[in-house]
Amino acid sequence: MRETRQIAPSGPARPLPRLRLMLLALLAVLSGVAGCAHRPPPIQPWQREYLSKRALRFDADPLEDRFRQHMFGSREGADGGYGHPGGGCGCN
Amino acid sequence: MRLQLRRSRACVAGWWALVAMAGASGTPPPAHADNHVTVRGAYYRESSTRVVQPVVEVAGDLPGGFDVATQYLLDAITSASVAAGAGGNDAIFTEVRNEVGLVGGWTGDRGRVTLGYRYSAESDYWSHGISASGSLRLWGDSATLAGTLGATFDGAWPRNATPNCPGALQMFCALRSYFGGFGYTQVWSPTLVTQLGLEIAYLDGYQASLYRAVPNLGREVLPSTRLRAVLIPRVAYYLPRTRTGFQVHYRYYRDDWSVSAHMFEGRVYQNLTRDLELRASYRYYTQLPADFWCDWIARPDCYQGATVYTADPKLGHVGTSMPELKLVWDAVQLRSVPFFAWFAEGSFEISYARLIQNTVFGDAHLLQMGYTLPY
Repeated sequence: MRETRQIAPSGPARPLPRLRLMLLALLAVLSGVAGCAHRPPPIQPWQREYLSKRALRFDADPLEDRFRQHMFGSREGADGGYGHPGGGCGCN
Repeated sequence: MRLQLRRSRACVAGWWALVAMAGASGTPPPAHADNHVTVRGAYYRESSTRVVQPVVEVAGDLPGGFDVATQYLLDAITSASVAAGAGGNDAIFTEVRNEVGLVGGWTGDRGRVTLGYRYSAESDYWSHGISASGSLRLWGDSATLAGTLGATFDGAWPRNATPNCPGALQMFCALRSYFGGFGYTQVWSPTLVTQLGLEIAYLDGYQASLYRAVPNLGREVLPSTRLRAVLIPRVAYYLPRTRTGFQVHYRYYRDDWSVSAHMFEGRVYQNLTRDLELRASYRYYTQLPADFWCDWIARPDCYQGATVYTADPKLGHVGTSMPELKLVWDAVQLRSVPFFAWFAEGSFEISYARLIQNTVFGDAHLLQMGYTLPY
């Protein structure tokens, strides 16, 4: 005997459960990240000529940075941010 | 006052949590040591303080990817005022600080680790510092993730006096500092690099000056703990056609004493000739005071009943700006000059800066010179 399929009464569509929406969003984000992972690196070895310039290096002169940290640390109230712990000075 | 401090710390803790969630990070990746000798000197002069600081650094590569660098630094401070900012009773004296440092590193295929130790000593202060850092290259060597952990152990004792730090069981006032930082550097194109850094430091111990006093109250008293956070984004861009480079640095600072500060710095690099480079920079700094600080000169009674008080100018409203010019000369032209050909493989640098300060320290001149010789 053939089953009779029940047809749901027409009405406003049920919103997707929040969990399902979150899973979809997570899937989209992961897809994007996976795409990034398979992209070639933005810089090839033969394109690194300028990266050795002082203008493109944030650590070109660590001794100068160290002196600056020491100087500003004794004249300004905000210390740190140059990759070194402070201390070593009684100039508080 | 104590309640205010507690509330303030809770607020800062929340701010840190937000920053940490943002996943920022930013100490510069530790550079690989190359064989070089650097000799450097700095001269700093303001109305009450003169500092001469020579530095020598020697670095060399070892077999197996290891390298080592050692450093010696001397701070000679003359005509300094130990009561700076306290208004009067300036004492002229000469102070010498010696500092030695040793850093060992190992560089592998994808990253680098370093261990460092530093010792600093002067007549009334000593400090031991240790640090460990690591960096990892990512995304086809177009990004670097770096982290640093460190701690310092300091001790201070006043000349010809008994320490007045609370809880001093010995003849010195102790300060322990713990430091952690993360950095992420991204190369976006052959001429565009960005960096984001986050650093947090926790200080526990004596943080006041041994000599600075507040009139009618005596030696200054500061909270014994301090939690500091720094966020630093930086951008660098290079124009090959004109051989011009640009850097923009920003630093946001906040601590649980409610000191908050913004720092902006812009740098322009210009190759004047093939071997001569000019760097012009301008740094601007502005700071809001600590929540317990008050201007006792303008309002002599403002510390009435306070348990924490200070005359330290750098805990108040601070604003500084510093224009600077720097020349770096790669001395290859000396190859044909007798005797001086020894220096032809290295580079000379000289810089001058004017530090403009709104505090009682006054404006300052800063002159630096250096020479680096690879070997």
